[in-house]
Amino acid sequence: MDSKYEEFLKQQQNIAREVCDSTPLVSERQALICLKTEYMGDEVFIAKIEGLLKKYKYIRRTRPDGNCFFRAFAYSYLEYLITNQAAYHEFRKLAESSKDRLAELGFQRFTLEDFHETFMDVITRLNPTSPGEKEPGQLQSELHRIMNEQGYSDYVVVYLRLIVSGKLQEDAEFYQNFIEGNYTIEEFCHQEVEPMYKESDHIHIIALCKALRVGVRVEYLDRGGSSTANTHDFPEGLDPMVYLIYKPGHYDILYPK
Amino acid sequence: MLKLFKKTKDKIPKSEIIIEPKELKTPPLSKCGKPLLLDNTRWERRLHKELMSLIKEPPPGVTVDTESVQQNLSEWKINIKGFEGTLYEGEDFQLLFKFNNKYPFDSPEVTFIGNNIPVHPHVYSNGHICLSILTEDWSPALSVQSVCLSIASMLSSCREKKRPPDNTLYVKTCNKNPKKTKWWYHDDSV
Repeated sequence: MDSKYEEFLKQQQNIAREVCDSTPLVSERQALICLKTEYMGDEVFIAKIEGLLKKYKYIRRTRPDGNCFFRAFAYSYLEYLITNQAAYHEFRKLAESSKDRLAELGFQRFTLEDFHETFMDVITRLNPTSPGEKEPGQLQSELHRIMNEQGYSDYVVVYLRLIVSGKLQEDAEFYQNFIEGNYTIEEFCHQEVEPMYKESDHIHIIALCKALRVGVRVEYLDRGGSSTANTHDFPEGLDPMVYLIYKPGHYDILYPK
Repeated sequence: MLKLFKKTKDKIPKSEIIIEPKELKTPPLSKCGKPLLLDNTRWERRLHKELMSLIKEPPPGVTVDTESVQQNLSEWKINIKGFEGTLYEGEDFQLLFKFNNKYPFDSPEVTFIGNNIPVHPHVYSNGHICLSILTEDWSPALSVQSVCLSIASMLSSCREKKRPPDNTLYVKTCNKNPKKTKWWYHDDSV
């Protein structure tokens, strides 16, 4: 290995570390209008942001570490659940039973347990009907604290990754059509889904939404043809509970008006 | 890219287990004699769980050197046997696993150690292993056991004993920690 290359590697690692240190895992809510300053002078983007401002009020940013879709999804959906008791309890049951299904698919039980335990712990802490009778505001700040604490936040991300991997393998025949090249679904899961920091694509989103029966609306802010951001609902036909914005390479959370 | 996912489909020939797996009756002790179980953190808990499972149900041909673990929970020596019917039949190898407190989010550092480093197209003579799950394809859902299985399967599927083509240069210039290497994974036809 020559020293120039090693230098390059070191540089890469330093940049990654700087990004990590300077951004919280999940930010406070910010007025959506702040996006305009980010894209000042870029007519295509500004026009699309104007369109989004009619529908959305706030944005919440996630750390651009490759886990952003999973973290944004988790935060936004849990935020929905703390004000929707019925949905909360239904989800809790689903989450509880998910471990055995994954184990049946061949995931090692004890690694699975680790992540499932923490995942359930997070859900339990956010129970809107717990005897402690926490105010919605308290639950909100608890959620924010949890999702910014790496020890919880990353465990939640891993568990969601495993759920996606499980769903892809369960319905391998269907998802195989989405995969380019000679990958099998299993290989794809091992390389692109299960490892941390690997970015998410449509296939991850579809699988997660279907597995958890959660509607997600994504607004695509890109250079694509139309003058408004492209809106896409996953899975089609389900009312969205989670709203995300996609800017090339990154997902953040949106708040409708 | 070296892909070693279909472990279950690889025919692993039967081999004897070297030592009867012993139950650890007492938790491993640290050097000063304090039980490591006390006040341990998450990564230590996870390692304990893995250790117990590896002692109770070791994959064929794999044994943990429990003495090494008792001295230091973050460094394990693991013995691995060349399977019958493969090029490594009758050979014994030793792996060193090093963990840090970010495990299992950080992958373990895994190298062959000792006098017998397998001659294999993905194993350098200094013990470094070119295997994607040890770096960029590592997932926190993997484990010491899955790494051992992948390495065993990598050895078993080898058709010609030889060193990687860039062995001499690599061994001379590489960092001591193989995780510092940006690997270009060799193709998986070997």
